[in-house]
Amino acid sequence: MADAVVVVALLAVAGLATAAVANRDPARQALVLAVLGTALAVLFTVLQAPDVGLSQLAVGSALTPLLIMLSVRKVRRRSAHGKDSKQ
Amino acid sequence: MNPRARLWLVVLGGGGLAALLVAACLRLPAFGGPWHPYGDRAVRAALARHIANTIASVNFDQRAFDTMGEMTILFAAVLGCVVLLRQARDEHRDPPEPCEVAAPVRRYALVVLPIALVTGLYVIAHGQLSPGGGFQGGVVAATALHLMYLGADYAALERIRPVEAFEIGDALSASAYLVLGFAGVLAGGAFLANTLLPYGTFNTLSSGGTVPLLNAAIGMEVASAVVVLLARFLDQAVEIEEGSGS
Amino acid sequence: MNGWILAATVVLAVGLGTTLWGVATGPLGRRVVAQNLSTALVCPGLLLLSQGYDRTSYVDLALLLALLGPVGTLVFARLLADELAEEQPRAWGLTWAAAGLGAVVVAVLCAVTGPGRSMVKLLIVGALLVGGNLLASRAMSGGFPGVSRG
Repeated sequence: MADAVVVVALLAVAGLATAAVANRDPARQALVLAVLGTALAVLFTVLQAPDVGLSQLAVGSALTPLLIMLSVRKVRRRSAHGKDSKQ
Repeated sequence: MNPRARLWLVVLGGGGLAALLVAACLRLPAFGGPWHPYGDRAVRAALARHIANTIASVNFDQRAFDTMGEMTILFAAVLGCVVLLRQARDEHRDPPEPCEVAAPVRRYALVVLPIALVTGLYVIAHGQLSPGGGFQGGVVAATALHLMYLGADYAALERIRPVEAFEIGDALSASAYLVLGFAGVLAGGAFLANTLLPYGTFNTLSSGGTVPLLNAAIGMEVASAVVVLLARFLDQAVEIEEGSGS
Repeated sequence: MNGWILAATVVLAVGLGTTLWGVATGPLGRRVVAQNLSTALVCPGLLLLSQGYDRTSYVDLALLLALLGPVGTLVFARLLADELAEEQPRAWGLTWAAAGLGAVVVAVLCAVTGPGRSMVKLLIVGALLVGGNLLASRAMSGGFPGVSRG
């Protein structure tokens, strides 16, 4: 019974990781990835590894989304720029 | 190789890997058992050196050399990014226009920025006492600065974040880690040996010999590295344009 | 298994379950709302876990999530401002419910902890959590009116 919370965390991680792979749009993937980061932090906490959980929270909640979304913005701007110069 | 053969190769390789992993999993010790040969020894060694958080003791004392490797990986990765994402010859800089942000968002960013910065420093400083340490705190402190971009605009961020200073800080803190390691050699011990400083009182900020110093070096290295990394990404995303100038 | 861990299990199961469903399906606006709610629902779960394991230092995890979760939502609100401007996602009912849950959990834990430094830390976590979530909600529905460039 004490492992129920571990099971919940594992199921959430499995579901979110599958959802991150199933999405095709990078912006939506980044959103799923941000939630996956918090779910992983919960998993590490219930497995008594708070140091790893803190690393995951620090990196996953704001830094990874920022890096991904900046890359998405650059790629979108580049393709918009390409269209403009063709017209 | 045709697609069919490639598929078979993947199935064969994947199946073999899965079989080996399952075989290895079956031989693992049971989950959550009472037998922890490594854990017991690590905790004993940590307590002998007056370090409350055993993870910090493993990272910065028992396996300090591994941490140096990880630091080098981060340093090299950021260096690679800086080289890759530099302004190429056929690109030009187009300074972004100042942007409009709703007043509550701006106020929130200005209030939370110092809190997040202090939290980052708190997590670094308490690395050997509670969960956390240089890496976690460094990332938080570096993220905190970028609230200036989210809550105001890119120009405001550039005013509070001189990238050159952070590049120097990155290199300085990486070498500080090495210097602390060689100090151990000069003191007659081994590279990165924790015999240099008194161990102090258990569960205080200065306990643990060289652990707080190595921790602080890593904190500064990670914070500077993340700032430099994000600076290159931001440059590419908002400032650098294709075409050699208009 | 004590009551705190049981409560944390329920909060985390509901919170992670609903946000998984919200973030994986539907229009972009709903996904950003779900991402914001994940912070608001997981952070009380982490606080309850720290009480359940009787380890006050685990509160640091909740502190970091309460600080950085809303910052993550601001990242999406800012860099997806163009798309979100069309949808104007609003879920004030859910947002206030999540904020209420956070406030209740923090209040209960404060009552159990008693006055002292840990209580101040809990209050800071609560303030950051509730304030951050309400603000992030505000930010995604028109918080960045003019950021098409920059």
